[in-house]
Amino acid sequence: MSARTGVLTEGRELRIVGFLCNWCSYGGADTAGVARFEQPTDLRIIRVPCSGRIDPLFIMRALVSGADGVLVSGCHPRDCHYAEGNYYARRRLELLKQFLPITGIDPQRFEYTWVSASEGARWQDVVTKFTNRIHDLGPAPRMQGGSGYDELCLKQIEEGVKQGAACPCHKERAL
Amino acid sequence: MEAKFISHDDTTGWLDALSEQHVVLAPMWDNTVVTFRPHVKGRTPVLDRMPVLPPKEGVFPQNEMLLKYKYDKDPENLDRTSVQVKETLPQDTAVVVGARPCGTRGMTVFDRVYNCEKIRDPYYVGRRENTLFVTVACTRIESTCFCHDVGSHPADAEASDVLLVPVAGGYVAEPVTERGNALLDSPFFAPAGERSAEAAEVKEKNRAKLPAAHDYTGCGEKLMDRFNDLAFWEEQSAKCISCGACTYLCPTCYCFNITDESVGLTGKRLRTWDNCMSFQFTLEGSGHNPRPTKAHRLRNRVNHKFAYYPDLHGGAIACCGCGRCIKSCPVSVDIRAIVRAAQTYTPKPAPEGGDER
Amino acid sequence: MSTLEQLKEQIRKALPDLDVVIGWEQGYDAMHATPLFIREEADIDRLIWSPLCVHSLGTYLTGLTKSSKVQKVGLVVKGCDSRAIVQLTQERMIPRENVTLFGVGCSGCLSHARLEYKVEQGGHYVEDMHAITFNGDKVEVAVDGGVESFDFDTVCLEKCLTCRFPNAIATEHFAGEEVPVAPKREKAPSLEAFEKLPLDERFAFWQDQMRRCVRCYACRNTCPMCVCRDHCISTSRNPHWVSQEASTAENFMFQMIHTMHLAGRCIECGECQRACPVDLPIMLFRRTMVHAVKDTFNYVSGADPEATPPLLTFKAEEDNINERGW
Repeated sequence: MSARTGVLTEGRELRIVGFLCNWCSYGGADTAGVARFEQPTDLRIIRVPCSGRIDPLFIMRALVSGADGVLVSGCHPRDCHYAEGNYYARRRLELLKQFLPITGIDPQRFEYTWVSASEGARWQDVVTKFTNRIHDLGPAPRMQGGSGYDELCLKQIEEGVKQGAACPCHKERAL
Repeated sequence: MEAKFISHDDTTGWLDALSEQHVVLAPMWDNTVVTFRPHVKGRTPVLDRMPVLPPKEGVFPQNEMLLKYKYDKDPENLDRTSVQVKETLPQDTAVVVGARPCGTRGMTVFDRVYNCEKIRDPYYVGRRENTLFVTVACTRIESTCFCHDVGSHPADAEASDVLLVPVAGGYVAEPVTERGNALLDSPFFAPAGERSAEAAEVKEKNRAKLPAAHDYTGCGEKLMDRFNDLAFWEEQSAKCISCGACTYLCPTCYCFNITDESVGLTGKRLRTWDNCMSFQFTLEGSGHNPRPTKAHRLRNRVNHKFAYYPDLHGGAIACCGCGRCIKSCPVSVDIRAIVRAAQTYTPKPAPEGGDER
Repeated sequence: MSTLEQLKEQIRKALPDLDVVIGWEQGYDAMHATPLFIREEADIDRLIWSPLCVHSLGTYLTGLTKSSKVQKVGLVVKGCDSRAIVQLTQERMIPRENVTLFGVGCSGCLSHARLEYKVEQGGHYVEDMHAITFNGDKVEVAVDGGVESFDFDTVCLEKCLTCRFPNAIATEHFAGEEVPVAPKREKAPSLEAFEKLPLDERFAFWQDQMRRCVRCYACRNTCPMCVCRDHCISTSRNPHWVSQEASTAENFMFQMIHTMHLAGRCIECGECQRACPVDLPIMLFRRTMVHAVKDTFNYVSGADPEATPPLLTFKAEEDNINERGW
């Protein structure tokens, strides 16, 4: 892997979704582009009016639908175009970050940060660091299968039966 | 056709053998509840209790793909797209093992609707004709059970192909249909012999456990008398929370929804269980909803089972009395009590000094 | 005078000014209670109060107070139920002035699921339970002619083990004695056990659990905080947040929606998990979120009618949010 750009040497890309606010971070990414800073190409950017527009469910939906990482970036605190959108965003995103571990999704797969429109170099740094991190983590596990009986479910039961449990699916009521 | 005997220990081996040729759905523990799942070799089925989910899943799955589609964009002219459609009709043969008589009998409610002169639903019929039901006679009468009220009993073999009656050490398997009889043609079975008498005793004993049957004769008219009495339905539905536990767990609820679920240029047309207790069930495109409140919706659910359906299908009540809707209702709404309330309804006397205009 | 007698007396006095008072009555058998809608004085006789009264009746409020026929509602509330009302009041979801609360002190509610499990472990059939008595910290169940006795702590709802609000708060009336605040556990035992698992095992756990969800939405509809009712985004086609297909991933997504929409609002009444017909341990999600809110914003939902919910406000410099130095 090229340490500077985060692009895997074999060229394989992972799916990383970036939600960027229109006024700062999208501008920052643009600045980085205009300045021809080299950046990894895995990130697919979705422009939103403000980081305050980002529902934590956008991030969950992306992760459940197969994203390997999600990056959110908005204006620095005190710099929000709408004065306080990013303050609300910060609270919501922080809760999501703390919540993720219970679902078994690695909280490292989600990050939020602040990049202003003039910070092209900072944008390059953020996107490179985050992409590297996701590449280190590898592809994310995905919830699979239909309700009830799918191949995966049957395989798990089969394993259990092989290990000698007559009914491996019966787990005691913990509480 | 003669009754046979299979020991508890041999049931797993029998299902192993059956699963070579068919998809075998049998109850199993899924963490802390019992649901129907495909049999996996070596796993003991859970036959000593009523599964939480109904056996209708075997013939009418919660998610059924009707067709797959794919759009192709013309590279010369992006405005032009063609679509390829592939129908996905059910192919497998299946055996549903371990349903209670009430649950199996629920399939008759489906048959009158999806496999009749007017309508022949190819997906439903495709599965129904290739699915056999091996039912276990019921030995556990719960406070929510009322199969006997709706014309059945704990050893009812209606719609079953084989009836297993629990006896000491195993089951007496009574074939009901020729196809069911063929399932018993297996080295795991021995002639039932004297155990048949024990089976008859078990059936009789469990039948006797049920309290006197409630008479639903004429309940349809009584319910229809209350049709326009919204106050009655508001009272009956007051505690209902309008969720779908009752409909999804019901062995006779057959309503479905069809949606296209697309991802990019490909997708599938899905048929999924629908739920008449939901606001969206009757929500029209215009925004108008003919059943805007839970009172309207509960009226529909109760009346459908005890009035509309019997009216259309020769008096057959569209309820199998399994009691899942009562047992799993988060607020214990009791459908029996609602029908009874309609049957015994007497108008309240006008309050004294009230406005008599 | 017993708590129940006091409660009946209070309701009897208040009923003339109210359209309906919601409490509990005996359900279809000895083991179950069911919500009771008291409209006339005669209905008051059917009122019961016992650990069987599990339902959080606040769930009816948002529907009722919008109905033109019902103006004034009375509600019998336990500690946890009253927190739901406080939270709804903060969010201005209910006209609080039209709601009269009849509070009680609660020493815990019965978990039917846990009791049934215990009874089966004891070699009995659950359908043979025909009477139940609550005797201090013992529960006695009559089965097949005998009596089985259990410690209440082993058959109560899990939320009751960590309960810090046994007494209804911010109510107009209060019946009976206050129950001492004495949580038996700091953290829910199931969450404690779950948190010991590594991430991949947690993911596998949910993969295994979520496939059996039938999306009946009983969890959503029993939730007193779910105020969107008929307009929930999980059943809407436009926007299309979740597919109609009840697949593992979509079921999981629905649970995420429920959890996120309860962030900083969930009062841990546990109704979602109790209502689930397939017994999904979804309180793990809710409790984690509650802990995150407490740790980050030092906020306990539904405790103070004057407080502002944490996601409806902010601080320019947050006390406990680390900007992570990106």
